[in-house]
Amino acid sequence: METKLKTPQPTASGCEGCPMHNAGNLRKLGVNMENSDFVIALAGNPNTGKSTVFNALTGLRQHTGNWPGKTVARAEGGFSYGDKQYKIVDLPGTYSLLSTSLDEEVARDFILFGQPDVTVIVVDATRLERNLNLVLQVLEITDRAVVCLNLIDEARRHKLQVDERRLARDLGVPVVPTAARQGEGLQDLLQAIHEVATGQTVGKPYRAKSESPAIKRALARLVPQIEAAFPGLPNARWVALRLLDGDERLMQAVRQGELGDLTRPELVMLPEAAANNRLIPLEVAS
Amino acid sequence: MTTVNPTVNPNDILQTAESLRWEIGPEFHEQLMEGIYTEAAKLADRAVTRPEEKPRFDLDRTIDKIVTSRVWGFPMMILLFTVVFWLTISGANVPSSLLATLLIDKTVPLLHQGADFLRLPWWLSGLLIDGMYLGTAWVISVMLPPMAIFFPLFTLLEDFGYLPRVAFNLDNMFRKSGAHGKQALSMMMGFGCNAAGVVATRIIDSPRERLIAIITNNFALCNGRWPTQILIASIFIGGLVPAYLGGLISALSVVGIALLGVFFSFVVSWGLSRTMLKGEVSTFSLELPPYRPPRIWQTIYTSVIDRTLIVLWRAIVFALPAGAAIWLSANITIGGVSIAEHLISFLNPFALLIGLNGVILVAYIVAIPANEIVIPTVLMLTVLVTGTDAGAGAGVMFELDSQADTMALFSAGGWTLLTAVNLMLFSLLHNPCSTTIYTIYKETGSKKWTAVAALLPLAMGFVVTFFVAQIWRLFAG
Amino acid sequence: METNPAILLLIGTAVLAVTAVFLWPEKGILSRWQQGRQMTDRARREDALKHIYKCEQKGRRASVESIAGALHISTNDVAELLGDMQTSHLLHIHSDNITLTSEGMESALHIIRAHRLWERYLAEKTGFSESDWHSQAELQEHQLTPEAADALAAQLGHPTHDPHGDPIPNAAGSYVYHGGQPLNELAADQPARIVHLEDEPEAVYAQLVAEGLYPGQTVRLIESNSTRIRFWANGNEHVLAPIVARNISVRPLPAVVEEETAVSEKDHGTRLSDLPLGETAEVIRISPNCRGAERRRFMDLGILPGTAITAEMRSPSGQPTAYRIRDAIIALRPNQANYIYVKQV
Repeated sequence: METKLKTPQPTASGCEGCPMHNAGNLRKLGVNMENSDFVIALAGNPNTGKSTVFNALTGLRQHTGNWPGKTVARAEGGFSYGDKQYKIVDLPGTYSLLSTSLDEEVARDFILFGQPDVTVIVVDATRLERNLNLVLQVLEITDRAVVCLNLIDEARRHKLQVDERRLARDLGVPVVPTAARQGEGLQDLLQAIHEVATGQTVGKPYRAKSESPAIKRALARLVPQIEAAFPGLPNARWVALRLLDGDERLMQAVRQGELGDLTRPELVMLPEAAANNRLIPLEVAS
Repeated sequence: MTTVNPTVNPNDILQTAESLRWEIGPEFHEQLMEGIYTEAAKLADRAVTRPEEKPRFDLDRTIDKIVTSRVWGFPMMILLFTVVFWLTISGANVPSSLLATLLIDKTVPLLHQGADFLRLPWWLSGLLIDGMYLGTAWVISVMLPPMAIFFPLFTLLEDFGYLPRVAFNLDNMFRKSGAHGKQALSMMMGFGCNAAGVVATRIIDSPRERLIAIITNNFALCNGRWPTQILIASIFIGGLVPAYLGGLISALSVVGIALLGVFFSFVVSWGLSRTMLKGEVSTFSLELPPYRPPRIWQTIYTSVIDRTLIVLWRAIVFALPAGAAIWLSANITIGGVSIAEHLISFLNPFALLIGLNGVILVAYIVAIPANEIVIPTVLMLTVLVTGTDAGAGAGVMFELDSQADTMALFSAGGWTLLTAVNLMLFSLLHNPCSTTIYTIYKETGSKKWTAVAALLPLAMGFVVTFFVAQIWRLFAG
Repeated sequence: METNPAILLLIGTAVLAVTAVFLWPEKGILSRWQQGRQMTDRARREDALKHIYKCEQKGRRASVESIAGALHISTNDVAELLGDMQTSHLLHIHSDNITLTSEGMESALHIIRAHRLWERYLAEKTGFSESDWHSQAELQEHQLTPEAADALAAQLGHPTHDPHGDPIPNAAGSYVYHGGQPLNELAADQPARIVHLEDEPEAVYAQLVAEGLYPGQTVRLIESNSTRIRFWANGNEHVLAPIVARNISVRPLPAVVEEETAVSEKDHGTRLSDLPLGETAEVIRISPNCRGAERRRFMDLGILPGTAITAEMRSPSGQPTAYRIRDAIIALRPNQANYIYVKQV
């Protein structure tokens, strides 16, 4: 398997290519990490071909139907790419991470507390509008994401042109067009996953900007407080929004200091980011 | 690597959030959602170029116009499902009897020879071969062929995207009884296997309607119950009319029972949505996904693996102990009389009250794990009770090759036309098999709803058969 | 069978009838007995506390008569009840003046919290209609322990307001009052936002709901006199009797928001269910009476202000109708499409 290696840019992080995941939390979430280097979470709306992507990557056969909402239980599988072993966890298909359904909670908790090395978000290229909101919500939590623009063959059949480069630029994470049913684009997807997992690509995710003045004011007061309490938390703004929304799970995480486990010390050191009050890694994918 | 700054108390954060919540107002959640969706739409619009010429999903809409048309919608639907059921029934006959010959007629004697060779005690070989093996063999030979045909066909229609259109066409009927249009589909799966039908209710994304679909799925006459219906109908009801009409009349009466089941599922849905399930959340929306060309081989492969084998495996797991129980109950005696006979005479007074007999009720109790073994068990128990010399020995399930022999055996057991009619009704209206009950529990996660789904049909069965029996006796003397 | 089938039939019918009378949901003896059991002394006490607290908030004075009226019991019973409550240090009685002790205040706030949380729960998590919310909460408020109320609040995302716009006291009993004034007292032409709809008496509340009013809506008073109150609310003119309009509390809006209000008044909007097949319309808003799971489902489907929706086809059985929403085909029943207000483009 050919892996084109870019020269990694030096970052403030001491350990380039080290796994990111939170091994302790993953164990709590029921993931056995023996023999794998990286954990990949597979998120996406229902009926976007998420299970097909999962099967294509792992070679397992989960039944995939033409229905919204097929995957109910969580499936796990593994694959290897390059010299690394990957564990891939298929999260329940959800439309959002904001509501209170069990599926959304499972998906949200896994991405937040498990800190997968890469979160692959499968989106339906023919219904981008409906799918991107989940992408935006995932990107609020993690910058280590790859968007899998699936069903690109359907989009072509319907004569839709999706400009994946523009989308990648807007979202700030890699976007890979695939047609998982035909196996198209899977090599590129694997490569993108590999690059994000090993830190060769670092995202600079899009963050929503259109809050109402009242919400902006509230955030301006709450975010600095959270950042002061949990320096290096990569998603303080999102945590603030969840607290304002009265999310009990997050309140519990604040109370018990679980959020402290999710901080990334290397991010604290970036002077520029500190000045902006936003914690962003310096390097951005080309 | 916990890094919590000790100077900031986490509770301060929560307090700030709490006080800010009063400032941002009660519509915060909605505003937040609207904000995210609006940005998502904006980004999508920037990335996607749409073709200028108007009819974009041309082919899909053309197909939709036909399959949901006022004129062609319903006839096409009926035609398609008739074809599916016809393929299932006619296609399953041959492999079913082949399997029965192979697993029962051929293998059982071989196993007995093997047991004799190993000098196993009679009770051990009886328990293992005549009890557990035979029970499981019955289930497999009756269940496997129709499921291996029905589920892949159904899955092909599902993959193509046709089934949501069926739900769309039928939704209004279901809405009137408080149910979801997709219940039509879980019901159809139920005709194959209720456990699979209950799993299929996952496609219903509205909580209340899904519970209704789960509880009423048992009214879809499943695969395991069709043989009972067909045998009883052709012996008793087909026998009422001249021979050339017999087949037709008995077929019609079986279809009548199936339709009665559909009727009951509407009535029960209606009742549930207005009483026990009033107040459960209902969020109806039905997506009609784009049509996709079905991938035939992969579909067959995955549906055989996924649905057929899993359902079959569960059935085997439950059939093994049932076979053992049947054999033991016929062979363990207390005071010279077997447990089965004790049970039969104990249940007889109540059974006669509802127009059945003790043998049938005992058969339904031991057949809770799998409805397929009702008829073999009934025959075996009737032989046990009447002391006729048909059959293969105590505790050995069997079926007779000729209808005349079966009829003779039933007559010896005191069966009447009323017994037959009520057996058909009771076969429709009784508790689901244990596989289905277990599936319902797994799907709902609720003991309460599992109990309702298990006991409601049973209670209805007792009530219906009681009234039929008494009215029958009132008029027939 | 020896027994006469006619007799058996009679017995069977009788058994069925008796079972039905006993177990029938809501109207059966069993459920009535359960409901009756809830009207214990404790429930009466709690209702009295709530009544006295609400009177204090409104600056009125609770009296034996007003309590008797609110609880539907005789004045003698009230006198006895108040005596008991005074012995348990829940209230002070000085001649006519009934005031709550701090203990009584705490209990009253808990009851109000439980009531409003339960209403919010019914609105968000169940399929009960809005007319059922209040009466169900009246029963449930006596069942919720403070711990259960806290758990419920956590599950609901610690809401600050009930679906009528009333503040829900937090676990410590504090809340921020909406600070609204009755609609009648608003200056003409002054844009304002509805902050609260009084849910008692039920008949008046039902009328307000029927008018399509809800907390958060912007209104503008046109005319106010002793016989009628005329005002704009989301593009429609409403006329109410002053006594009914009193049950609407509003808060004047600052000038900035005024422009938005001016725009929204123009968007009369029709219901999506009235959109003819083949036509396209733009969503103006989702009715706020559509809450919780159902509202979220709509948003998940991408039904948002500005979204274009085309009515594509109708089921051969008459309904539902399939709409093209953001390139997906979604079928909705008319009673759901009613919640979505659109304007044709």
